[in-house]
Amino acid sequence: MTNVAVSTESGRVATESPPIEVRNVSRWYGNIVAVNDISFSLEAGVTGLLGPNGAGKSTLLHMLSGFLAPSSGTVNVLGQPAWKNPEMYARVGLVPERESVYPFLTGYEFVLLSARLHKLADPAAAAARAIRQVDLESAQGRATGGYSKGMKQRVKVAAAIVHEPSILLLDEPFNGADPRQRLQMMDMLREMAAHGTTIVFSSHILEEVERLAENVLVVVSGRLAASGDFRHIRRLMTDRPHTFTVRSSDDRRLAAALVGDPAIFGVELQDERLTVRTSDFAEFTLAIPRIAREANVTLLELLPTDESLESVFSYLVKR
Amino acid sequence: MNAAIIQLTARQLLGQKRSLLMLAGALIPVLIAIVYRLSEATGNTIYIRETNQLISAQPRWVAQVLLSQLIVGTLLPLTAQIFGTAAIGSEIEDGTAVYLLSKPIPRWQIFASKLFVAWAATTGLVLSATIVSTAIALDQPFEYRILLGFSLAVAAASLLYSALFILLSILTSRALIVALLYVFIWEAVLTRLFRGLRFLSVRQYSLGVADSVIHAPRQVFEADLNGTVAIVLVLVASALLFMYGVRRLAAWEIGEST
Amino acid sequence: MPPRSEGAGSIYDLGYRRYDGLRLGRRHSVLSLYLYTVRWAFGLGRRTSSKIIPVAISIIAFIPALIQLGVAALANDVEIIKPENYYSYVQVSVALFCAAVSPELVARDQRTRTLSLYFSRALLRRDYALAKLAALTTALLFLTLLPQVVLFVGNMLSTKDTSAFLRENWGQVPRIVGSGLLIAGLMASLSVAIACQTSRRSYATVAVIAVFLVSTPLANIFVREAGGLGNFAILFSPFDLLGGTTYWVFDVTPGSDSIVSIADLPMLIYPIVTLSFIAIATAVVLRRYERIAA
Repeated sequence: MTNVAVSTESGRVATESPPIEVRNVSRWYGNIVAVNDISFSLEAGVTGLLGPNGAGKSTLLHMLSGFLAPSSGTVNVLGQPAWKNPEMYARVGLVPERESVYPFLTGYEFVLLSARLHKLADPAAAAARAIRQVDLESAQGRATGGYSKGMKQRVKVAAAIVHEPSILLLDEPFNGADPRQRLQMMDMLREMAAHGTTIVFSSHILEEVERLAENVLVVVSGRLAASGDFRHIRRLMTDRPHTFTVRSSDDRRLAAALVGDPAIFGVELQDERLTVRTSDFAEFTLAIPRIAREANVTLLELLPTDESLESVFSYLVKR
Repeated sequence: MNAAIIQLTARQLLGQKRSLLMLAGALIPVLIAIVYRLSEATGNTIYIRETNQLISAQPRWVAQVLLSQLIVGTLLPLTAQIFGTAAIGSEIEDGTAVYLLSKPIPRWQIFASKLFVAWAATTGLVLSATIVSTAIALDQPFEYRILLGFSLAVAAASLLYSALFILLSILTSRALIVALLYVFIWEAVLTRLFRGLRFLSVRQYSLGVADSVIHAPRQVFEADLNGTVAIVLVLVASALLFMYGVRRLAAWEIGEST
Repeated sequence: MPPRSEGAGSIYDLGYRRYDGLRLGRRHSVLSLYLYTVRWAFGLGRRTSSKIIPVAISIIAFIPALIQLGVAALANDVEIIKPENYYSYVQVSVALFCAAVSPELVARDQRTRTLSLYFSRALLRRDYALAKLAALTTALLFLTLLPQVVLFVGNMLSTKDTSAFLRENWGQVPRIVGSGLLIAGLMASLSVAIACQTSRRSYATVAVIAVFLVSTPLANIFVREAGGLGNFAILFSPFDLLGGTTYWVFDVTPGSDSIVSIADLPMLIYPIVTLSFIAIATAVVLRRYERIAA
């Protein structure tokens, strides 16, 4: 579990404006509404922007990064509007989606360029450190034109973190990364988040978001469908039953006893296990030990089966 | 102006095949000058009624054909277009412009740096071609101050064209075509048909600048715009293009990824 | 489909199946590509912004015809723009159209790497090349032929006796068509030959325009200053080459101050060289597409 407080939980007193604050933001192109009245605010930690392709994730990220003006509403980064605000880049890092970098520069030169453009006091040292962080030291002398997709991704990240920003925005950062690179980058991002960086990344791949993001913003058709910890979101979806898998010493007897309880509305017997559907998560967690004891059955295993982000996601998308 | 951006842009513009082709282009006026030199036309004379003199036809050919038509009229705009649209247009098309714009650098510095490199590259190339070809074609290269006049004209036109084409690249992805339409329809055709339009033609400005320095009889060379007016227009137009370009750069939005 | 379970229900096999219908074959394929390319040249079937430039240039090509008709309406018998010198008024526009459009037609496919899709269909590599050439030629006919038609019809309608006009000027029609075809053919084949060498549209644009617009003053200088052999330089300027060809087609002697008469070459040489260049350029394009990796 995370050790950093998550933004949308209440009870956190903000002494100054949050690093990222989006209020009633919409963006349209003629008749097409790409982002439709979205509001959220983010603190330190990793937030995943999740949604199908064309949902408006990139549009939202472009607005956060100051390269797209909202048609209405405000996008505030570090207390100031993001649009037409180049000074904010001193504390904001951006990893764009497009693959291309300057093909004639070596990896080191590219990161060094970024460091120099950020007017760092010791650009060479900062560049070396950033390259070490993304594990690109062996390839830093080669021209980026010859890099693989994953290497290009890493050099872009290095250029984005060279100035140790307090906000990092990544657009589909795990595209083309092999599993090992992905794990390394996730570790790096988690560590940065632990040190107080606000990280936002977009993805349409559920496993990535599930593994990395403590906070999820689900965007569907330009609207914010849900935000927060996805497990918590799951529990809020009361019109959809929760499913549990139970293994016990006597499944059939337990099944018969469970069916009698009003909190349960479905039980399925399969080889070796029991699938239980209940509408009331809290009620069920209190009830099952009692029912098991009354039926003289020993519970061996109890697992929630549909708390995956996938089930949350498919539910929200279909809604 | 930003040293890192200048270095980067210089590397972008001057690498690879493009430079070789541009060099070949710059040799064309030199070639023409050599042909002229070897032909009998160098001995021709023209008659100046005002002073009742016969003077060599060389300065006229050089000023009107070589410098005005070939260099200022064709080679210079084409070169400026290539460097100008490459300076920022290819960055926008490839998607690398974001790396420069997502830095805490004032937009005017970015624009100025790009402009400086495009201007320097264009001027360097075209000015060399001008000097070499003029020196070849004229028996007396410093007569009438033709060389000085056109050197200034090249520098001024180069600045204006570069600023214009960089601005166009920021505004549209079809900048090159619009630039070609401007040079070869607007400047070549329309301003000749409608004389009033010469106040909106970079070519006329630069010829006017040349005229302010050149002291030659009108049969040799005469610009459509008065010299002082031209200089003022160059300064005003440069300032306007620069300011507008910086504004557009500050409000640049990421387009849809192709 | 036979039901897979017993009893009343059925489960249908909705999986992948091959196309068993009629396949129209290579000719249809080539024809489709040709029509598609012609439409693409004018931006039809694409967003509005890509129509602006081709349409604008096309309109510019019609302006001389409209001016002539306007002038003739005001002052009869004044003919400043005749069919044989129409081309000289629009040659820059045609060149700009080529420079703007030919990269879209051939360089773009190379950039987006869709060539392999084309070559894995019924059409052969040379079919692709020839279809593209034919399409650009057709598109250019809108600029070289149509304004002439407008001029002809306009002149015809403005005379009192249209049938007399038709009888007298009937001979002009094949000449107009012939010159229009030759002009479109040469400009198109040259542009495609240049543009297909690169996948970057901007390079192609500049190369095409440079060839058309730099060759003319160059050739003129050679012709004026270096007589004798230098006169043949005029054949290397597409504008002047086509100018001479047009004079030959209309059987008109050029004015004494035109570059064609200064060069003083036998008139037959112009159409012959034009056709040769068309053949050479076509061969270049064919070779390029036979050898390109896709």
